[in-house]
Amino acid sequence: MEALIVIFLSGLISLFVAFAKKPLYVLITACTGLITGAILLINQWNTPSTLFASYKGLEFNHTSIAYSLVAILFTFLAILAGYKSFKDELEHTGDYVALYIFSLTGAICMLTFTDMFMFFLGLEILSIPIYVLAGTRKKDVRSSEASLKYFLMGAFATGILLFGIAWIYGATKSFDLNTIAMVIDGEAKHSSLLFIGVLLMLSAFLFKVGAAPFHFWGPDVYDGSPSIVTGFMASVVKLAAFGAFMKLFGTYFTGLHDFWAPALMVMAIVTMFVGNLSALSQVKFKRLLAYSSISHVGYALLTILSTDPMNEMNLLFYLFSYGFSVIALITISTILNDEEDRLEAFKGLAKRSPFLGFVAVLSLLSLAGVPPLVGFFGKYLVFSSAFIQYPTLVIIAIVNSGIGIYYYLKTVMTVVSKEETTENTAILSVSGLQWFVLVVCALGLLFGGIATSHLG
Amino acid sequence: MEILLIPFIIALVALVVPSNFMRQFSLLGGIISLAATSIRVASFNSSEFYAITQECLTNFGLTFKMGYDGMSLFMIVLTNLITLLIILSNYNRELSSNRTFTSLLFFMQFALLGVFTSFDGMMFYIFWELTLIPVFLIAFWFGTAGNKPALMKFFIYTFVGSLAMLISLISIKAYATSFAHDDLMAVQLTAKSAFWIFGGFFLAFAIKIPLFPFHTWQPNTYTTSPMAGTMLLSALMLKMALYGMIRWMIPLAPEALAEMTYPVVVLGIIGVVYAGVLAIKQNDIKRLFAFASISHVGLIAAGAVLIGQDNWTAVFIQMGNHSLVAVGLFLAADIIEQRLGTRSLSDLGGISKVAPRFAFMFGALVLASVSVPLSSGFIGEFLLLKGVFSYNMVIGVIAGTTLVVGAVYTLRAYQLSMNGPAKTAPFADLTWNEWLAFLIIMLIIVSFGVCPQTIINFVGPSVKNLIESVTNTLAK
Repeated sequence: MEALIVIFLSGLISLFVAFAKKPLYVLITACTGLITGAILLINQWNTPSTLFASYKGLEFNHTSIAYSLVAILFTFLAILAGYKSFKDELEHTGDYVALYIFSLTGAICMLTFTDMFMFFLGLEILSIPIYVLAGTRKKDVRSSEASLKYFLMGAFATGILLFGIAWIYGATKSFDLNTIAMVIDGEAKHSSLLFIGVLLMLSAFLFKVGAAPFHFWGPDVYDGSPSIVTGFMASVVKLAAFGAFMKLFGTYFTGLHDFWAPALMVMAIVTMFVGNLSALSQVKFKRLLAYSSISHVGYALLTILSTDPMNEMNLLFYLFSYGFSVIALITISTILNDEEDRLEAFKGLAKRSPFLGFVAVLSLLSLAGVPPLVGFFGKYLVFSSAFIQYPTLVIIAIVNSGIGIYYYLKTVMTVVSKEETTENTAILSVSGLQWFVLVVCALGLLFGGIATSHLG
Repeated sequence: MEILLIPFIIALVALVVPSNFMRQFSLLGGIISLAATSIRVASFNSSEFYAITQECLTNFGLTFKMGYDGMSLFMIVLTNLITLLIILSNYNRELSSNRTFTSLLFFMQFALLGVFTSFDGMMFYIFWELTLIPVFLIAFWFGTAGNKPALMKFFIYTFVGSLAMLISLISIKAYATSFAHDDLMAVQLTAKSAFWIFGGFFLAFAIKIPLFPFHTWQPNTYTTSPMAGTMLLSALMLKMALYGMIRWMIPLAPEALAEMTYPVVVLGIIGVVYAGVLAIKQNDIKRLFAFASISHVGLIAAGAVLIGQDNWTAVFIQMGNHSLVAVGLFLAADIIEQRLGTRSLSDLGGISKVAPRFAFMFGALVLASVSVPLSSGFIGEFLLLKGVFSYNMVIGVIAGTTLVVGAVYTLRAYQLSMNGPAKTAPFADLTWNEWLAFLIIMLIIVSFGVCPQTIINFVGPSVKNLIESVTNTLAK
């Protein structure tokens, strides 16, 4: 609990520190806040705590602490990677950093809630800063479009979600998850209010994680937003949305598993195919990333479907592995700084800068699921835990990985290509912080899998 | 452990060695890793299993179990020997002083050794996939320009095949406690699930070998890769798949053998005849050897599914033989291309008059490739044909045509390029390193042709153990 307060305060303070017009101070404040928050969370590992004795809105148990730590890590990396561009807009540095941190606060609420109230609050705290951040390239039409589109669609999805919560409240007379679960598990015959509520919530969640057929906002928003925001959305926002999704559907709504699972199964299949097939012909880097993220959502949905006891951790590990790749790629794309964000900008990267090329290849191969990179272990865990219940679904997912290899490989070949385009000859300037982010990501990609296989 | 670590360390060190010292460094590296293996061979007792890593069970069933028995050690020696030969034959080429290339080559060696020493399904899979990356990069960076489509096809083909193997591994692991070879073998499968698991493995291996009709990636990839890439692909990567059949596919799902033996043998033999006939019509000498390779390995694959002491021993003999011959033939093709700038048979002729030493060596290799007696190919091919004959007479007769067809295409290649009037520009004879590479290949081929018992004793006991455990599983 203290962690949440510390993180929120560090965001608030960085807003005020920014008045000093010293971006470095903002960065230090933010990083101190995040690191302190992480340490406090680790301290709490053995002493589960709740918000207040009388009101148990947030619960920090092992699962939610693990999820929150990963969210903090990704926010940390995103802020470090983006610092170079924040710094250039002196009057807004504090705003940007603070917005990321506020969004993280929302994410932590979404990962630790035990109550629909807190869940809704967390979702809004998470989303509103992102709506703003998506539009921060004010002079770019695409950025404004992304912001507006995300806001309108997000508001719509929130409406559906609230509607769903209301129906569930109607059926169970409670916002508290344990009470809801007790009602669901206790009744032999459920009221139809509950079914409608669950379906509405399911749609809202599918929207938030960006699964087909609710994915249309994804590519436009990813493409239009500034790169770092895209990275943040693909890692932290996705983690928070999936964390909440898993908590509700994987833990508390399991009593209705037979009801929602078939629907979700169809969506998972559609999502995988839509993501992979649309990604095949993309020429813009962030659009490619957006479609590839849709396909990854499809794989990750398998964990929500399966009732394996380990699936919360499997999902976390999957998103963890995915986040490293995305943040590394986004960092590289900000370094390349191509106006139109074409895939062509990556051409000959390995030759221009072997280190950047190496990290880019690692990230892409990890996304494709090539062992021994961490992405492979993520995929393996997800697939093997779902295999007993849904063998066909796993086979479809693997076929999709086979389709996916085409565009990842195409990008890898662009990166390692021998030819250099004449336009890309400018010397790449990599700041120390970006180096740090890339090294962390590369280490995570290389050794994350083996390391996790040794952990509890 | 040092077997695996040496190539890995060399691969890392190669990145910082100055490039004018690169050639000597890589030669030294190849010799060191072969020498390290020789020490292991000297203290080897062929009926035992030697662990090289500490086994430990992790939370998703990965056990890190690695080690070697006779079969594995045979493959280890082969890998190290072929790597050394590749380095040797590249020695006076431009590529040999390239840092990235050398590093990738040793990294490839490391990954291959990993494949042959893994006794854990997941480790096997990881190393199996790991081999793909260095060979892909070698072919992409140092191959002929415009080979992108061919390589893309190669990568996607093999990757999809591997995914099928992953499904098989996941599904068999669902019934076992860990990925260790013994645990996976102990799983009792129903005939239906065994069929699918076998099928998944088979797809991965059939693409890698490649068997007809999964071979379409192979000729283009071979011809557009640099010499070292082609040698790695044909002499070593393909052996991974044959080894995988014997070590993983059959012991893990022997219940499917009754159903699957026939189709696999038939596919193998179709490949033998089909690729052999295509090889006769080729004009590009490298492409000709690529088809020849498909033709030879079809028979080996057929032998691998016909479980039995003689057949499996013959598979190992023939794998060694094929690796050596492939390295030799591709070296010969590359020598011709280097000196004359063409690989087209119709432009060649009369080389034997200007380069007698080369012609002699090439001729000797051609004879080894058609398996004349006193070459190791004779023993291997003879035993394999015997196995196919006793399985099915008709298929055996068809398979026997490989001897005739094989003689036709290799001798045709020899005759068109070496004999006849000299059509070509002056041809410099072999340099010392090429001479040495050919000499080593020929010496080994002849010595095992004269005395095959050494290999039979070397791999025999471990083959016997494996067959026993397979038959035990089937009997239960």
